[in-house]
Amino acid sequence: MAAKIDDKGREAFAAFADLLIPAHKKMPSASSVGVAGPLLDEVLRLRPDLQEDFMRGLEAITGEKAGAAANALYKDDEAAFNAMSLVASAAYYMTPQAREALGYPGQESLTYDAHAVPDYMVDGMIERVTRRGAIYKSTPR
Amino acid sequence: MPSVKKSPKVADVLIIGAGASGSIAAKHLAENGFDVVCLEQGGKVDNSEFWGDKPEWELMSQKRWHPNPNVRDLENDYPVDTSDSDVNPLMYNAVGGSTILFAAHWQRFMPSDFRVKTLDGVADDWPITYEDLLPFYEEVDIEMGVSGLGGDPAYPPGKDFPLPPLPIGKIGMKAAEGMNKLGWHWWPGPNAIPSKPYDGRNQCVRRGACLTGCPDRAKASMDHTHWPKALAAGATLITGARVREITVNDEGLASGAIYIDRNGREREQKANVVIMCANGIGTPRLLQLSNTGRDSGGLANSSGLVGKNLMMHPYAAVSGKFDEPLESWLGPAGQTIHSMQWYETDASRGFVRGAKWNVMPSGGPLGMRAAYGGKALEDSWGENLHRNTKKVFGRSFEWGIIAEDLPDETNTVTIDPNLTDSDGIPAPKLTYKNSENTERLIDFHLERAKEAMAAAGAIEMSATRLMRDCGWHLMGTARMGNDPKTSVVNQYGQSHDVPNLYIYDGSVFVTSSGFNPTGTITAIALRSVKNLIANRRNQKVAA
Repeated sequence: MAAKIDDKGREAFAAFADLLIPAHKKMPSASSVGVAGPLLDEVLRLRPDLQEDFMRGLEAITGEKAGAAANALYKDDEAAFNAMSLVASAAYYMTPQAREALGYPGQESLTYDAHAVPDYMVDGMIERVTRRGAIYKSTPR
Repeated sequence: MPSVKKSPKVADVLIIGAGASGSIAAKHLAENGFDVVCLEQGGKVDNSEFWGDKPEWELMSQKRWHPNPNVRDLENDYPVDTSDSDVNPLMYNAVGGSTILFAAHWQRFMPSDFRVKTLDGVADDWPITYEDLLPFYEEVDIEMGVSGLGGDPAYPPGKDFPLPPLPIGKIGMKAAEGMNKLGWHWWPGPNAIPSKPYDGRNQCVRRGACLTGCPDRAKASMDHTHWPKALAAGATLITGARVREITVNDEGLASGAIYIDRNGREREQKANVVIMCANGIGTPRLLQLSNTGRDSGGLANSSGLVGKNLMMHPYAAVSGKFDEPLESWLGPAGQTIHSMQWYETDASRGFVRGAKWNVMPSGGPLGMRAAYGGKALEDSWGENLHRNTKKVFGRSFEWGIIAEDLPDETNTVTIDPNLTDSDGIPAPKLTYKNSENTERLIDFHLERAKEAMAAAGAIEMSATRLMRDCGWHLMGTARMGNDPKTSVVNQYGQSHDVPNLYIYDGSVFVTSSGFNPTGTITAIALRSVKNLIANRRNQKVAA
């Protein structure tokens, strides 16, 4: 069962996530792609092992200024910082907006002809290897 | 302690473990009329459980499908004390064993690997040669459906692979260009991943998620390649069966095993022959737990070598960044190309033996980010996160280096005095340190791999001297040999002490080679089980 996070907690996490993952050139910010919304609940549901450290970190930063709170957490409670930053970055890179901006289609499925002759077979690349001859030592007799 | 419930059935052969070697044994024994029972502590895995085709893939890879059992922490795993080990062991406990998560690099050893004492004056020679094993290498290639290109000058001539090679992609081509500039060996890497539909499995779609389970039902994991045939031939597979002891009769012969089912009940499975296939940690763990009272070090251990000579292949890597898109998330993962340029011994280098290199894809952006750990907050996050990711992601690949570690009796699997699994069975403890030879070997290979990266045009590179989570290859802890004083089993995996007890997994390796071992584990298992089948009438069994 995922922990319940109220609006104040989501607001604090959004600010924390934006500090770690701000908008930059084509890349959107973490909060703009929804990492503090339902996606947060989904990530914590999938990774219950992160919940305890995440919630401890969230409690520590709620009501604090994001920059100072993140630095304090990074310094004083590495486990909580790591859980929160993993949740933020995992959620971020799961979104279609971040993936599109990065040029990452995900682990895509490609079709190919297994019998097509590879370039290295016709452009001389593999021939250069075979021309150098055997490199193994035979079984001693 | 609950009472032990006995099964009325006495199996012809009891196999402990349904992974690479156990699957080979089960299929061939069942198809030859043996009444086979296999006890597997894990369950069956369905391909729909894998996340490789979903956005959550990297998130789930770091826990549920992590190869380190101490990270995964599932009930069907057993914990391993690694406090005295340089390397963490990696494995998966399920029908199919670690082939569920392996990268399917399907390598043969080279002829010199079986003769390191003769050639290099270290360790020991194997009681078999490359030539003894060659027909079995070729047969398991067909059983697994290996994709590759014949004619590799790193090996003696032999039959071609059953399937054409997988695409090597932009990363493979880039790496190969660098090797050709240097005049160094490379070759499209053989993989137990089908480049076209094969024996009920689908064509690999280059998903690149092999290491977290293939969602496309392509990769050759033993739950697909062997278990359907073994079950069709009448083998009995009992899952969730955690073995705690191999039983022995008054004559000192193996008589079966006691296991705990998932309802917590102890059960006994009797058998005429027992084959251990529980990997290089699980097998010595169980043998040491099966203390008959006659051997202080456990069963089949008059040599004192059960649990000794653990080898795990330290893994080093050089990662290079390029100024062009390389689609470096694309599979196979799997290897695109490999190199044995620096495999054979050259004494002038200051060490003996060598390493195989392989090029693999670098995965998604979350995994790349994990590499920034340990840096200052502002270096890892903020705008620098985007800058670093943009610079590296999709534009990098890694030359991985599988270093041959030589057998050393101080590298061990023992029984931990405190740690237990979820059924209360004592857990294994590893003691494993790199030798000076290994350290020199790694240093040399890292320098050569940097040269290879530079020749390929890398604009930046970084080196990892030892990846702690690299212990996929668990070998050497019940070595084979002709002399009962210096080995645990003979060349067919038969215990010198207990003639109806066999070991078929990587425990029997005399040396580790510098290769991914599953191709050799399965070839040895096939050779051993064919010998058992051929000599069935002469087999001594428990009455």
